[in-house]
Amino acid sequence: MRASDTELAMPASAAEAVEAFGDGRGVTVFAGGTILMPEITHGRYPTGGRTLMLTRAGLEGITGDGRIEIGAMTRLADVAASGVEPLASAAGDVADPEVRSQATLGGNLCAPPGAESPRGDLQAALLAAGASVRSAGAGGERTDSIDEFLGRAHSEARLVLAVELERPRRAAYLSLRRAHAHSYAVMAVACAELADGIRVAAAGVGPRAVRLAAVERALAGGAAAAQAAGAATDGVTPHDDALASAWYRSQVLPTLVTRALERLQGG
Amino acid sequence: MELTVNGVTRAISSPPLTSLLQVLREELDVLSPKAGCQQGGCGACTVLLDGEPRRGCLVPVAAAEGHEITTVEGLGTPGDLSPIQAAFHQKYAAQCGYCTAGMLMASHALINRNGGREVQREQVIEALSGHICRCTGYVKIVDAVIAASRGDVDVEKEQGLLVAEPSEPAVEPKGAPA
Amino acid sequence: MKAVGARLPRYDGLAHTTGRTVYVDDVRVAGTLVAKALRSPHHHAAITRIDTSKAEKLPGVRAVVTAADVPKNVYGHLEALGVPADEPLLADGEVRYRGQPVAAVAAEDVETAHEAVAAIEIEYEERPALFDIRKGLDPDAPSIHQWGPVYPHFGPYNHRRVRKGDVEWAFEKADVIVEGAYRPAAIEHCPLETQIALVVPEASGRLTVYTCTQAMYFSLGVIAAHLQVPLNRVKLIGGTVGGGFGGKVDTAAETITCLLALKAHRPVKWRWTREEEFLASSTRAPWHIEIQDAVSNDGWMLGRRMLTLHDAGAYARFSPYGLTKHGFHHTGAYTIPNVHFDGFVVFTNRVPTTAMRGFGVTSVSMAVELQMTRIAETLGLSPWELRLKNANRIGDTTANRVVMQDPSTVPVTLAAAERVGERLGPEYTAMTPARRSGELLPEHLAAQQAPEGAHVLSNGGRS
Ligand SMILES: Cc1cc2nc3c(=O)[nH]c(=O)nc-3n(C[C@H](O)[C@H](O)[C@H](O)COP(=O)(O)OP(=O)(O)OC[C@H]3O[C@@H](n4cnc5c(N)ncnc54)[C@H](O)[C@@H]3O)c2cc1C
Ligand code: FES
Ligand code: FES
Repeated sequence: MRASDTELAMPASAAEAVEAFGDGRGVTVFAGGTILMPEITHGRYPTGGRTLMLTRAGLEGITGDGRIEIGAMTRLADVAASGVEPLASAAGDVADPEVRSQATLGGNLCAPPGAESPRGDLQAALLAAGASVRSAGAGGERTDSIDEFLGRAHSEARLVLAVELERPRRAAYLSLRRAHAHSYAVMAVACAELADGIRVAAAGVGPRAVRLAAVERALAGGAAAAQAAGAATDGVTPHDDALASAWYRSQVLPTLVTRALERLQGG
Repeated sequence: MELTVNGVTRAISSPPLTSLLQVLREELDVLSPKAGCQQGGCGACTVLLDGEPRRGCLVPVAAAEGHEITTVEGLGTPGDLSPIQAAFHQKYAAQCGYCTAGMLMASHALINRNGGREVQREQVIEALSGHICRCTGYVKIVDAVIAASRGDVDVEKEQGLLVAEPSEPAVEPKGAPA
Repeated sequence: MKAVGARLPRYDGLAHTTGRTVYVDDVRVAGTLVAKALRSPHHHAAITRIDTSKAEKLPGVRAVVTAADVPKNVYGHLEALGVPADEPLLADGEVRYRGQPVAAVAAEDVETAHEAVAAIEIEYEERPALFDIRKGLDPDAPSIHQWGPVYPHFGPYNHRRVRKGDVEWAFEKADVIVEGAYRPAAIEHCPLETQIALVVPEASGRLTVYTCTQAMYFSLGVIAAHLQVPLNRVKLIGGTVGGGFGGKVDTAAETITCLLALKAHRPVKWRWTREEEFLASSTRAPWHIEIQDAVSNDGWMLGRRMLTLHDAGAYARFSPYGLTKHGFHHTGAYTIPNVHFDGFVVFTNRVPTTAMRGFGVTSVSMAVELQMTRIAETLGLSPWELRLKNANRIGDTTANRVVMQDPSTVPVTLAAAERVGERLGPEYTAMTPARRSGELLPEHLAAQQAPEGAHVLSNGGRS
């Protein structure tokens, strides 16, 4: 498949984008392109179909006060500057200033798992914040909880329009990374205190970010940070990749969770 | 499609999902941006889009249409260097030179954003964090950016010693671009 | 002499800072084709079938080359120096590392080139692979190289040896034996400019090769040998390199690009992707180094036994040379009168390894310096004083019997001590590199000392 053969649509509004997306079959959504552009250059672009470039669809922006809505095309640089935690810290941690000025929230949420490194660090922050995802596709527009959205059948194509969330009372985000800006985070932990308790999630311990339910239960039962973090690896299956081994990840995850929780409780 | 590069608008025929880097280099022969990785990881392809640094290899040309693109060719020439170019030259911030164009564009944008004040070391490190240099060890690059932001560049003095290269044109830093 | 001592501007600084330096990728020649390679996805496999006919028939494809197209496919980088060759330019019947080139195509554009590579039909039969140099000599190690597990051509030996003095005596005499194992890892040079070549077939039949090589004359010889043409049929234009650090000493892209240009009768450019650079360009070698030192309680180094395993990767390239340098430096900046060194170049199914900033020597320096500190800790001595005491002095002889004329260990160590504010005893701060005498010339160092004015001691046997 040649990128030069792809049929390109550049919708000028959200409605046009939804229309052009249809049921999503054969459509590749192109947001900031920080993941997709190298695929095109190296001849690995998805075969067949159309490309829907959202650059001019007007899907960016952060609105609302209590309940906040962040458009799918909002750049990570703007999410980082928004002060909406734990998203802001997570976004500010991705790559470098230039990539953040181009990469989008929607692209990070929908990032396919990378072969050599985890991707989609903001998924953990969205899980912790108990966000919901507004999307279009077969059956029309709908809003799912982030847990449902990430857990949906892999084959179900959705066009993400926005994420919505209540500003958590407190939140913390912590990632483990190598020294250089360009190494993806090995693992990241996000936690947030919501009206109904503390939510904890981790990225980099599987193909997509996951909630650490056992840690949450321990916290709800009154456990201290370090004690609750002892359950961090329950139900998660870390993997080997170019950044770290599964063994290393399972050794370090509890420490990362402890520190994130201490940060949450400390501030 | 049309693309405006260094103030000149030209028609282009590359497909819309071609990277801006590819169009600049292969279609327009604008050669200062380099293809160091073509996957966003090195910064050698960095150009300015409406004054903001962007990775040329990550921007599809369709998304660049309608924006002002600036490359090193638009910053200054050997006889008419911009302060950041003069500083890189004077402070030995370019060794093999392959990263230099990207470093220059990101640094130039940083100095402009900073509105004429002296940039701090931490700001430079953050602004260049996506730029890899395998030769210099970064120290001279950071020094050069700070010097340029202070207006502390004097290429003329060094120039007198260029005895072995009489054909080199005289260089003088020109005033900070708007 | 106006320039001596002055800070001159870089001669290429203006071109670099104005974006005008012309690297290979910036050379424009009308009608240039794009090259891409089919690379092995396996670490070790037999090639049971290869069929390029579909790729050749694709519109826009101008040349496809395989091993069958290379006039002399197997040629070694050191063949001109008498080191036998083992490495094919394009894999022939077998692949020995992941990323090894098997075939290459030249096409009108990059997308067609990608398609052509994908259209080459190839079948492999995977074979067991070896990655750990320590296992290369095991009886059940997989057989991966026609020469066996190690490079076998160090004169009559299958390893590089250095012998001097009487090590048995040193180990009998020692108060303490200090052991250490050191394992520097592989490093990718990662120059910002990936491997690249542009080859233009001239009307005269000559090939003009724009190259990023760090070794113009090596590359010239390698290209001409593979193509079996006289040297004057190949003209290299180079010298402007976007970073090399040793990684551009091996001839990487040039020769295959020449083959494509000859077959297509068109200019061809081959620029490796960053992925190819990491996967298939040579790296600095991983090493395994074991040292045993016989030392006296008062800090004299009486003798050293050392075993080094050098990871050549799948083919020899310059590894025998790198290991030889390593062996020459195996006592570091210190004088040890009795030594026994064995070094092996071990084959693995990694990408072939090569030079990087002090080929073979950085590994030994790292090991020796860590070992010196370990000895000082074991003996409870100052690591500075231990180094100064055993430092090379004028008239001392190296392990391979070169007489020290102007060794710098003493002044460099003293300067370093001063920089970090280390206080040394007056007998140390007053030290110079002068010939050993008095307390610094104990009996065990007398025999190794060369007579005044000598340059080389007689070899007294092979080293
Ligand atoms: C040098 C470098 C470093 C990086 N470091 C990190 C890191 O540390 N952490 C990290 O998480 N990521 C990192 N990334 C990956 C990437 O930049 C981010 O994940 C980014 O947020 C992706 O957003 P995008 O808009 O560029 O995505 P795109 O490339 O446009 O798209 C990515 C995927 O999401 C889909 N998609 C995009 N938008 C939507 C939508 N609205 N609805 C449905 N599907 C959509 C696309 O179809 C595609 O499959 C890095 C990338 C680079 C180049
Ligand atoms: S070439 Fe664009 S970042 Fe490396
Ligand atoms: S000067 Fe060579 S990479 Fe920076």
